[in-house]
Amino acid sequence: MSDQLVFWGLAGFITLSSVAVVTVRNPVTAAVALVINLFLLAGVYAFQGADFVAAIQIIVYTGAIVVLFLFVIMILNLDPEHLRSPRPRIWEHLVLGVVIAGFAYIGYRFLDSLDVGKVASNRLPDNTYDVAMILFSNYLWPFEIVSILILLAIVGSVAIAKKPK
Amino acid sequence: MGLTSSELPFIVDLIATLSKIVVVFLIGLNVPPIMLWVERRVPALMQRRRGPNRVGFFKWRLWGLFQAVADAIKLIFKEEAVPAMANKWFFHLGPVFSVFPAFLVLSAMPFGEYIEVMGYQISLVAVQVNVGFLFILAMAGMAIYGVALSGWASTSKYTLLGALRASAQMISYEIPLGLSLIPIALVYNSLDLTEIVKGQSHFWQWGIFLSPLSFIIFLVCMFAETNRTPFDLAEAESELVVGFHTEYGSTKFAAFFLGEYVSMFALSLLCSILFFGGWHLPLLSRENLINLTGSVNLAALVGVGVLFLKAAFFMFLYVWVRWTVPRFRYDQLMKLGWKFLLPLGLANIAVTAGILALNF
Repeated sequence: MSDQLVFWGLAGFITLSSVAVVTVRNPVTAAVALVINLFLLAGVYAFQGADFVAAIQIIVYTGAIVVLFLFVIMILNLDPEHLRSPRPRIWEHLVLGVVIAGFAYIGYRFLDSLDVGKVASNRLPDNTYDVAMILFSNYLWPFEIVSILILLAIVGSVAIAKKPK
Repeated sequence: MGLTSSELPFIVDLIATLSKIVVVFLIGLNVPPIMLWVERRVPALMQRRRGPNRVGFFKWRLWGLFQAVADAIKLIFKEEAVPAMANKWFFHLGPVFSVFPAFLVLSAMPFGEYIEVMGYQISLVAVQVNVGFLFILAMAGMAIYGVALSGWASTSKYTLLGALRASAQMISYEIPLGLSLIPIALVYNSLDLTEIVKGQSHFWQWGIFLSPLSFIIFLVCMFAETNRTPFDLAEAESELVVGFHTEYGSTKFAAFFLGEYVSMFALSLLCSILFFGGWHLPLLSRENLINLTGSVNLAALVGVGVLFLKAAFFMFLYVWVRWTVPRFRYDQLMKLGWKFLLPLGLANIAVTAGILALNF
């Protein structure tokens, strides 16, 4: 019962903050809503017993990536008034409505086939060890390739950002 | 996850958890007043001055211990000004964002193994997390938002520059901090802080002997993470007034102090837990202590006292260093972090893992 309560509470606030990320005018507010969103998502992970994933989620996303977003927004010093887009036309509203309805339908079908209540109260035992075992045996090559890819991206961005001599 | 400890009945668990939360909160709240006093008396001692020694009750002056109370009252009753151009929401939220992660870090600290109350074993950690120090790193990382948002929301050049400096510094030093902890996890084979302390029951098994390089990296990062001298570039008085909290006054200013001192205390506790045997006395094992005192509870309390003494030493070290070492230059700070501590941390992991792989 309390599991369900916590899950639905977290889910509700995650939904609210996700909506805030895309609807709020001030970019800094949007970034902070994103932080709250990712933080609460880590809460869902932790509550299902995925401690390791939850901690990594906070370290990587809220602790590092969104901080960088926030930096860029703050340094650019964006004025919310300049970000105001022109009034959308009728057909734009229509397309948006169809897309939202489509997603709502997919979500509804997905929810129907998934027993959310059961998932919400499902709690795994301590599994940091298992995660490491799988990551470094079955998925060793994909893991290494991804890390090389990330390294390439870092080197590439430094190369692009460096001023030509 | 250990959000609930499974062995206890629900109501016992609830009462135990609530009382632990209250105790941890009170411990956190009591750190800044004591540190305010220490930060005036210790430099006075070092510079052969007297320091504030007058505030007390009638003829009992108690070495000026009540100076902290006077300071707190003064801070709380000061007038609060909000800059006209400030972003009101984030200006008010800034101090919240810097206090809340500090207390979350403190909540995951184990203060001892367990005490026995009415036949129930109650662990001395408010939030039992299996991935203990990852949780602590994660929460410590959240502290950046308090700095960045309050600096930005004040709409002043000094605060924005201070915030940028502070957050760049905190992000940079978080990496060597995390790297310095990995050898400890490898040596004690756990990410749970309680397990790590249990692995240090003998004096020669303390983290400082098994992984001395980690300790040095951790110590440097500890100062950088809390923006303390010699890494207090974020509030370099000669350049930025006081950095990101220039525009704050009264209780909000006090809140930044609270956050800073609580995170200093949490890192001092973490340092004692990871490298100095936590609640273990040197050369006296826990079993012997239980035999000597005759009860588990008394031994646990002695352990908590020992842990607090160790942490108090590191708090003293913060003050000691502050009045001994001058401030770094910003490029020196970045060079130290990225070009020295980061490779050193990586090499430390490789060497530790290599030795462990050869031994077993």
